[in-house]
Amino acid sequence: MLLYLFYGTLLLICIYTVRHYYFTMNRLFGRQRHLYVDVDTADWPAVTVLVAAHNEEAVVADILKALMEVDYPADRLTIIPVNDRSTDRTREIIDEFAEQHPSIEPFHRVGGKPGKAAALKDAMARVNTEVVLIFDADYIPGKALIRQLVAPFFDPEIGAVMGRVVPLNVGKKLLTRLLDLERSGGYQVDQQARMNLHMVPQYGGTVAGIRTCALTEIGGWNENALAEDTDLTYRLLLAGWKTVYENRAECYEEVPERWPVRVRQIMRWAKGHNQAMTSYMFGTAKSSSLSWVERLDGVLLLGVYLMGPVLLMGWLLAVVLFYNGVQIGGGLTVLALGAFTTLGNFAAFFEIAGAARLDGSRQRIRLLPLTLFGFTVSLISVSRAAWQQAEESLLGNAELVWDKTERSRTAPVLEDPLPVLKESA
Amino acid sequence: MSYWAPFALTGVTATLLLLPVTPALYELRKRRDAAPLPTTRHDGRITNFAEAFQSRLQPLLPQLEKCRDKHELLRTHIDGMEVLLACSHDFNFDPDAMKGVDAVMCGEAARVPAGRVVEADVYADSSLELGEGAALRAALGARDIILGENSAVLRWLHARGNIYLRQRSAAYGRLSAGQSISLEKGSGFQRMHAPQIFTVDLNSHGSGLIASKAHVCQSETGNRKERDDLFASRERIRVQGNFVLPTRASLNANVIATGEMRIGPGARFFGNAKSYKDTVVEADACVHGSLVCGGTLRLGPRSYVAGPVMAQGDVLMDAGSCVGGPDALTTMSSSGVKIAAGCRLHGTVWARVQGNVEN
Repeated sequence: MLLYLFYGTLLLICIYTVRHYYFTMNRLFGRQRHLYVDVDTADWPAVTVLVAAHNEEAVVADILKALMEVDYPADRLTIIPVNDRSTDRTREIIDEFAEQHPSIEPFHRVGGKPGKAAALKDAMARVNTEVVLIFDADYIPGKALIRQLVAPFFDPEIGAVMGRVVPLNVGKKLLTRLLDLERSGGYQVDQQARMNLHMVPQYGGTVAGIRTCALTEIGGWNENALAEDTDLTYRLLLAGWKTVYENRAECYEEVPERWPVRVRQIMRWAKGHNQAMTSYMFGTAKSSSLSWVERLDGVLLLGVYLMGPVLLMGWLLAVVLFYNGVQIGGGLTVLALGAFTTLGNFAAFFEIAGAARLDGSRQRIRLLPLTLFGFTVSLISVSRAAWQQAEESLLGNAELVWDKTERSRTAPVLEDPLPVLKESA
Repeated sequence: MSYWAPFALTGVTATLLLLPVTPALYELRKRRDAAPLPTTRHDGRITNFAEAFQSRLQPLLPQLEKCRDKHELLRTHIDGMEVLLACSHDFNFDPDAMKGVDAVMCGEAARVPAGRVVEADVYADSSLELGEGAALRAALGARDIILGENSAVLRWLHARGNIYLRQRSAAYGRLSAGQSISLEKGSGFQRMHAPQIFTVDLNSHGSGLIASKAHVCQSETGNRKERDDLFASRERIRVQGNFVLPTRASLNANVIATGEMRIGPGARFFGNAKSYKDTVVEADACVHGSLVCGGTLRLGPRSYVAGPVMAQGDVLMDAGSCVGGPDALTTMSSSGVKIAAGCRLHGTVWARVQGNVEN
């Protein structure tokens, strides 16, 4: 029995390994799909930008300032900073901006359920445009970003769009440098490959846009979802709407600078993702409106955070089986066992290396061996999250707890010049 | 066994373990590549190269004015760039005068003689004309620019007035004009932008006339408010397989077809349309919305698409077809673009591989 469980574990790990390598090869050598990036002139639709802000006094001025400079017809753009029960100077800062700029229409939320999804749900009552873009308050959009995120909505099949997130505070600590590499792998390779291969690019909840009628059709934001982005991706997918990823719609964000903050963040993501998995895995697997590629990728995507505990279980089983003298398979199994139960899944590191190459990073790739630390922390954190979830559901005391990611920025950064990728003639 | 053996073994093992992470530790300490990744923060406009060139040369404009009064050639420097101010009437981009020059500023109407290759970027304060078979790297014109037969511009070309591409001329890279671009048969382009883009056949008066008139469908689009309301309220129809809108039929919906799509002759389609495979908009049909096509898109004679138009394959435009409107500029993007004479486009046309006007 244990032996078959072990084989099952190996099989799962091998499937995800092939997935990682396939994505990386596609990005390095395959045909790239940037269908909407060329749209620079159009009869642009009216757009509302929602800026989710909960105690964001350190960062909210930066994003409002950046949004005032975007290249989008001013009469087609409304900005709604969603101040969700802030107790710091967030409200004051937003109101100062609103006084100077009539396109800013603040929404100060003073009660209601905690969490971003609940705040956005309340803010949607004020939206009367067909396209809504969502940013977290610590993001800094570039000039063309709004156009880049809106362009895909000219495609009637598109329900949501996701841009690329680029860490701004990279050089601060080891953690920020590792997260920089990890984000590169996730967006530059993983998301874009899924876009290339007509799979399921994931709506990420920020630097993102959604079609209002699609959101209405699927019942709006799910305030009970721990990861409202994953939840939305799958509800849209099952309702026949596609999500697209725009790799060139880049936006700076602040990544966690302290390990406890990172652990809380990834545990929340893992719980939210696992919650979505229990809700949508079966529906995705049997959906007749999806292609087999979408069904396969959709199911695998839902399972990514479960691979942490699966890998740990594989290690444990390997030890138990070894000391019980069980003969484990032939040469191939031993090879798979050796490779993946010692250092985990190498394919994920290959993906990061591929991303660093695509980004033209020459020196930061040297940090690749150290990503093992981040990998180990993530492995333990997501396993812990899965264990807590299982325990909560067995004991029946599941409770929605929203952990907002702590900001490290203490002052606006827009006075400093940001690194710019220049056009060259 | 030597007393030192265990220490040596430990040392060797530690070295072997540390070796793979040494570059990582070195980078972590030195932080040579610890800045945020650069992102594209410019607005991505097609005219950016021309505007950057203009702003670099801006301080030399008073000097150009003086030089114009004296009808002379003058060499000067700006931003490490060697600039030739050419204000004589008989300046002909003589290779000897151009040696070591990065940019030329022409104070008078300028003409690049037939067959001459100019490697410097050119700013023309008046009109600029390229003779037959001439080539230049890039040019910015304060008025009109004419590319003679078989001439070519290799990187970018922008005129504040009009641009005329004569037969078999080519503008590689970016091509933009403040007023209009007129392309004759056999001319080629890659990415172009202008409020009005015409393809003309000087041998056929009929085609020339079609191009100069507004398309009949442009008057059906309605005002901005009506367009917004339609955008929000349309029904979405998903078709497994092919979709055909019959001849002269009218439909108000967003349609997604997993097969091919055909908008019949004279039909009116109010909405955005997407096909996974080829799409044909037949003669006199109008699409008041966007078109997304997974294959080849054919716009039949006198057809109209409000846009944007996005095709993964090629776009073929028959005579009299029109994309966008003068008050609603749009984008047409595809792998290749083949346009017949007598067509009209408004906004940006992007042929990722190559675009040309049919011969």
